[in-house]
Formats: sequence, structure tokens, C-alpha cells
Amino acid sequence: MNLKKYFTLTRAGMIEALQFRLSFIMIAVGNVLYLIVVYFLWKSIYASAGTDVVSGMTFTDTLIYLVLATALFNFMEMYTVWEIGRSIQSGKIVLDLLKPIEYRKYLFWSYTGSFVTQFFLTFLPTFIIVAAVTHGAIPLGINLLFFVLSVVMAVSVNYSIDFLVGTICLYTESIWGINIMKQVIVLLLSGATVPLAFFPEGLRKIVMLLPFQSVYNAPLTLLLDGSPQTGTVLKTLGTQLFWCVTMTLLSKLFWKLSLRKITVNGG
Amino acid sequence: MSAIIEIKSITKEFKVLNRREGLAGSLKDLFSRNYKIVRAVDNISMSIEQGEIVGYLGPNGAGKSTTIKMMTGVLEPTSGEILVAGRIPYQNRTENAQEIGVVFGQRSQLWWALPLIESFRILKDIYQITDADYEGMMKLYRSLVDIEPLLHKPVRQMSLGQRTLSDILAAFLHNPKIVFLDEPTIGLDVSMKAKIRTLIHALNKEKNTTVILTTHDMGDVDALCRRIVIIDKGKMLYDNDIEHLKGFFGSYRTLKIRIDGNLKEQAADIQKELPDCTVSADEEWISVLVDEEKAKVIDVLGALQKTHRIRDMQLEEISTEAVIKKIYEEGVQ
Repeated sequence: MNLKKYFTLTRAGMIEALQFRLSFIMIAVGNVLYLIVVYFLWKSIYASAGTDVVSGMTFTDTLIYLVLATALFNFMEMYTVWEIGRSIQSGKIVLDLLKPIEYRKYLFWSYTGSFVTQFFLTFLPTFIIVAAVTHGAIPLGINLLFFVLSVVMAVSVNYSIDFLVGTICLYTESIWGINIMKQVIVLLLSGATVPLAFFPEGLRKIVMLLPFQSVYNAPLTLLLDGSPQTGTVLKTLGTQLFWCVTMTLLSKLFWKLSLRKITVNGG
Repeated sequence: MSAIIEIKSITKEFKVLNRREGLAGSLKDLFSRNYKIVRAVDNISMSIEQGEIVGYLGPNGAGKSTTIKMMTGVLEPTSGEILVAGRIPYQNRTENAQEIGVVFGQRSQLWWALPLIESFRILKDIYQITDADYEGMMKLYRSLVDIEPLLHKPVRQMSLGQRTLSDILAAFLHNPKIVFLDEPTIGLDVSMKAKIRTLIHALNKEKNTTVILTTHDMGDVDALCRRIVIIDKGKMLYDNDIEHLKGFFGSYRTLKIRIDGNLKEQAADIQKELPDCTVSADEEWISVLVDEEKAKVIDVLGALQKTHRIRDMQLEEISTEAVIKKIYEEGVQ
């Protein structure tokens, strides 16, 4: 009974997402354009390197990684920062705060609908196409299970980061700059635009200590690893779990404190 | 009956940055700590019973919305106490949400892209309304308004009137104890306004829901509220029956007559004939302000008819609107 009030939001989100048929086409077109750029960019990088393997990855490895990162991005990006910022500016947030569900949960569950639709309509088709075109470059084994587990945690970490940044909008009342900054930082440091393997050693060590790599690097590494070592898998998932819990607590706490400040000072 | 909303001398202060003008001023503001305290609500107390419809009035920026936000739990009062259905709203916002419904004039809580019925279904699950209660409410709605054509229409395709109507229905759906309506008839045409007033009235009657209504439309007030509360600049000006309010300004009525000849001169003559009344004239009418405690309008008219040939006449009650306007401008003596 209790879960019903969350699943109803998922359902609503799915219906809502499916209303806008054109947006799926636009996303698909946008992705193709982006991937064409990526293809030629990396082709020239590999050509100028003069070797088949750069930083331990072949051209095909890199391309598969980036295609899947794009597909993952489509399904994980929730535009939470936008949504929070816009609600604050328009004052709609008052109505959302007056729902008998905690705002953080309310917003999350409102997005789950688009997760489901995007997963089936963009991620899965991309995955199948890539798997078919590359003739088994993506290993299909136990790694898929690790990947699913990893994505669930990635979604949670990503949402917490977004929510944390969104909360800042309560103070700044502007969203554009903050949102762009967040997007650039997350996409770069999570390994969504450039695989972390290409990062200089020092920088990579630092990045591995940050929460961002749990969003894209972790699930994609697990997915593309055909012969997973128990130690590496446990370490990756463990790190994700740590960030999952830490970021959830942090974003919750920050929201609670901020909201208190707002209810005291007015918005 | 016990009070559903109990407010004891609440005050709400905001800290506002003193903004300076011009580019240089704006740059300085970036580093400014120069705040001033604005008192939006100043020592307001009231007690509202279950089932009342209270008109909450005041000019723009009087502090109405701030008070409502405190009652809903979105804002915390700087000082004073609020109890809504036995709870302190800002400490139990989520629980309090179950007991209240809100309609904020121009904003909608409905799912924009979905047909209305989907919004209702979502709200049913969110508020955990039982099937029986939901069906009962829908039955009531069907009996009050022609809801069928609306149910399957996406909210974004609705007219403002239809959307407002839908928003009100959505706010009442979980049968809350209190519904806050913030300017529900803003921007609507006359017939839609009437429809919405009838609906609010019926829902209040049927479910004994307490309604707090803020509006600038005196038609809403006259049609719905027996009690009104007026605030201005955060201070309470008036809290009593609407009848009492009119009595406040004496029982004056204005008799307007149209006669031949020079109105200005005639008005002066009439003033001599009727020393108890105040007579004035404009291009078309001679207005006689009658204090009903001193003279009866009908007697005044009778007297006038003997001396003048009256071609046309009008009788004007003092309207709530005129009274409120007077209060905004002058305050209550």
C-alpha cells in the first residue's frame, strides 16, 4: 500500500514521457550527430598516436565505451537541477512541498517513469545494436548482473549530486550557470566524455576518490569487463555503495538545513 | 465545535537585502551585508471553526499569502503559535499536507500533459484515498459540475476556467479538513466565476470543509463568506461578520434622481428642503445620501416627488466593495 504512492508517480512519468513522441526522435538524432563527432575525433586521435592501443584501450573499445556512455546519459540524466530551479523561480515548489510525500522522494519518483521509458527506448536498443554490430565485443555473462547492480547505485549517486546542486538554487535563485557547471564537472570527472583510462595518472587517482566516477565509469567498466575478478568487482561496487549512502545522507541533510533556512527567511 | 485553525499573535519577519541602484550599486550589493527587516505579518490572531468559509482580504502585499504559507507549513512564523487540526504545521508539513488542500490562483498542481482523470488517479494514490471514498467524491463531483468532458482532456488544452475548476476539484479530492483558495476566480469570466462560487459553496456544505479564501473580487466575498478578515501592512484591520462590516459605516443609502433643469441649482434647493441629507449633483444625476437612522428613503422620495418631476431614479446600497475600499484607505475607526 505504501509503495503504491511512489509507483503511481512512476506510472504518471511513463505516460507523460510517452506523450512526447517527437522528443524521442530528437534525442535519437542528437545522439547520432554527437556520436559521429565522437567517431571522427577519436579516429584522428588514434591515427595521430600511430598505435592501435592507446592507454590500454583499442579504438573499438573506446568507441563502444562512449556509445554506451551516451546511451546511459540519456537514461540517467534527470534535469533535476533544472526542475528544482524552475519550481523555485515559479513558486510551484510550494505546491510540491504540500504533497504528503517528502520532496526529495517525490521528485525522484516522478522521474522514475522516464527512467523506465528511456531504458527501454534508448539504452536497450543502443546496447543491442552495439552488441550486434561489434560481434561480441560486449561480453554477455555475469558482468551484466554486476552492471545492473551498478547502474541502480549510479542512478542514486547521480540523483543525490543533482539534488545537492539543485538545493543551491534555493540560495542563488538562478539556475543556468550552476546547471552548466554541474554538467561539465560530472560528465568530465565521471568518465562520460573521456574514458578515465586516458586521464593522466595523477588526475585519475584523484578522480577515483571522488563520487563522480561511480556514475558512469563504474557501471561501464563492469559492463565491458569480460573476465571480472572478484576483487575488482567488489571494490567497484563497494565504492559505489559507499558514495550511494554518503551522498544520499549529505544531500538529505543539506536540503533539510536549507529548507529550514528558507522557511525561516522566506523565499 | 472546536477551532480547526488556531492562530495566536503570529509575526513573520523577512530579512531583505537593501538593494542599491545602478550598476555600481548592484556590484556593491554583491558584497553587502546591509539587510533590513521587513515585517510581513504583524501580531495576527484568529480562530477558525470547522466548516467556516472565511474571506481573507487585503490589498496587494498586505501579507495574505505569507499568512497562508504559515498555515500550510511552508513558512515558519518568527514568533507566535499556529495550530492547524491540532498540529504545528511547519514541524509536521508532510502530515499536515494530508489535512489540507490548496489552490494557488495561477499555478496548477495538475499533471500538465495528462488527462485530468490521470491527475485524479495519481492524487488518489499519493493521498492514499480508499476506492470507496474516491468513488464517493467523484459521484459528488458529477452531481455538482459537468465533469465528464473535462476528465479525458489533457490539462494543457484546458481553458483557464476549466483548469481552475479542475484544480479546485483536485484540492478537495482527498476530503481535506481545510482548503486554501488563493484568488481562485482571478482572470475568469462572469459565468465561470458563478460556477466556481457555486461549486465551492456546495463542497463546503456537503463535506463541512473549512475554506480560507483570499480574493480581490468582492463578488466572491458576497457570494461565499459570512465572515471576513481584513489585513493591511501585516496588521489585522477587521475580523467579523460581513453584515457587521456594513453596519460599521452607518446605514447609508444613496438615492439618485434625474430631473429637468439645471441640476446644480436644483441640488442646492433640495439640500435646503432636506437638511438631514447630503445632496450633490453631477452631469446626469442628483445624488441624495440618506442616513436611514434619521430619515426613510421612501419618505425622502415622497417629499421630492411633490416638488419636482422625477424622470428616473436609482437606489444604491453601500456595497461591500465600497466599504472595503474605505477600510483600505482609511482604516477602521
